[in-house]
Amino acid sequence: MAKHESERLSKQSEPQLPGETRNSSPFSSGPAQASAGQDCLLLGGQRLHSRFLMGTGRFPSPWVLQEALKASGAEVITFAVRRVNMDSVEDDSVLQHVTERQLTYLPNTSGAKTADEAVRIARLARAAGLGNWIKVEISGNPRTLLPDPFETMKATERLAKDGFVVLSYTSDDPILCKRLEEAGAAAVMPGGSPIGTGLGLLNPYNLGLIVEEANVPVIVDAGIGSPKDAAEAMELGAAAVLANTPIAKATDPVAMARAFRLAIEAGRLAKLAGRIPKKRYASASSSESGSLFGASIPPKIPPAEGIAW
Amino acid sequence: MSEIKNWRNFRLYVITAADCHPGRELIQVMEQTLIGGADMLQLRNKTGSKREVLEQAKALRELTSKYGVPFIVNDHPDIALEAEADGVHLGQEDMPIAEARQRLGSGKIIGISTQCVEQALAAQAAGADYIGAGPVFPTRTKPDRAAVTTEYIRQAAEAVSIPVVAIGGITPDNAETVLAAGAKRLCAVSAIVGSEDPAAVCLALRKTIAAAGGWQKRLITLNGLAHPTSASRLDELIHLLGQGEKRLVAELDGTVVPRSQWARTLLSEGAKLELVHFVGGG
Repeated sequence: MAKHESERLSKQSEPQLPGETRNSSPFSSGPAQASAGQDCLLLGGQRLHSRFLMGTGRFPSPWVLQEALKASGAEVITFAVRRVNMDSVEDDSVLQHVTERQLTYLPNTSGAKTADEAVRIARLARAAGLGNWIKVEISGNPRTLLPDPFETMKATERLAKDGFVVLSYTSDDPILCKRLEEAGAAAVMPGGSPIGTGLGLLNPYNLGLIVEEANVPVIVDAGIGSPKDAAEAMELGAAAVLANTPIAKATDPVAMARAFRLAIEAGRLAKLAGRIPKKRYASASSSESGSLFGASIPPKIPPAEGIAW
Repeated sequence: MSEIKNWRNFRLYVITAADCHPGRELIQVMEQTLIGGADMLQLRNKTGSKREVLEQAKALRELTSKYGVPFIVNDHPDIALEAEADGVHLGQEDMPIAEARQRLGSGKIIGISTQCVEQALAAQAAGADYIGAGPVFPTRTKPDRAAVTTEYIRQAAEAVSIPVVAIGGITPDNAETVLAAGAKRLCAVSAIVGSEDPAAVCLALRKTIAAAGGWQKRLITLNGLAHPTSASRLDELIHLLGQGEKRLVAELDGTVVPRSQWARTLLSEGAKLELVHFVGGG
């Protein structure tokens, strides 16, 4: 949520949610207020109804990809820029399978090791005439594929100045995310864990801090293993989730795409609905009074304070 | 010696002949030839006033610049200079090469028409940058001149090291014969600009030239690999590679070339080309 929106929700201790377009605070009344219809994500001038950004790599077939896309409800899809295969004259571009759908295209700069390389890939991608969004992805290590913060910073700055809508894939470092935002990122995309590992959110605490500080949408990207990770990210206050491998490599990618869609919606709704604080000990769901067995003295328990999470 | 980069790569030279296309604008017809793949263009206007020729020259200079094609003016070094053309083309009866060179300086192209090996050698010795050799066949453009036949094309190609352009009565139907005689560059006039579809005729001629294989291949780097090619332009290369149907992006020597510019982009020796597209990714 942008700072200007934080005021009317200042009574809440929740992290702020960037990119909100809700008409009224969902915290003020019943869950109907938080229905998906009013809860859009503003990103790069687009009004997105789905908070699921789907990657298109490693699907078993173009048909499965297409069906998974339908099941996901995703409005933004990512892909990579690679050299054309000269041995084939058939169009093997991923785009031919998805062009009939109304989608926003988010090419990434994967393969880039430096800001220069990322800028070059971004310009090539833009020349394809499919918009000016770019996911800056600059790997600093081939084994972990973790992003190089310095090069990511440089590329974000240059591409934002060059008129791109820059979504920066980054480490889950709150200060770095803030710096990327200041450099012109339209959204920051902290990774939950290294790309393709499925390890989930290794540092939910940091992700929470990033969300709290951000004035741009925070999109949790990379490392998501299953829908529960996606739901967790949304409950932490992420504006959206980007996932690829956990869908593409699932036994049934189409069903998994739907599961992710539901989890992301559930996580989002839960975030808006406001979860209970965590407590160390139990508190009964029904009041003690009127108990059949007449225990009139309440048990002595330590003060049950909420645990920050 | 010309300073214009890569002009020697030309293969299809087209000369204006406004009387061949009454009712159609010169610029429109010539643009069609460029769209069809003409890669050298000459303004020849023997009847107009100098003012008229200069105006046409300026307009054609602007047009050819848009397509990255060298532009030559027939006869008039002063007009060539004023219109910022790339050079002049002289006839045997026009001013001597040395005089034209003195007026134009070393940075411009000077070409001259030749009808025999002696003239070809003399032209090369005098500092001509290329020679026209012809008329190969009897031609409407120069009806009073006897055809030199393809035999002269063979002799000229062997005699001189500067580019030789076969000219005179060349059409898509007889181009193969001329190329078989050793020609690597063709020039056509009425067959192209007198046609209803100049672009189609140019394309047909370029295909014939490419098929003859008489062209020395250029070595470029394509997606990181050495790639010898007979293509002189980007659109042609992509077509030859069978990649024309793909939604791809071309980057030449570090600069993205929009699809609309492919036909105007010359490939030079040592060029670095990347052809990329989108694949699945996260």
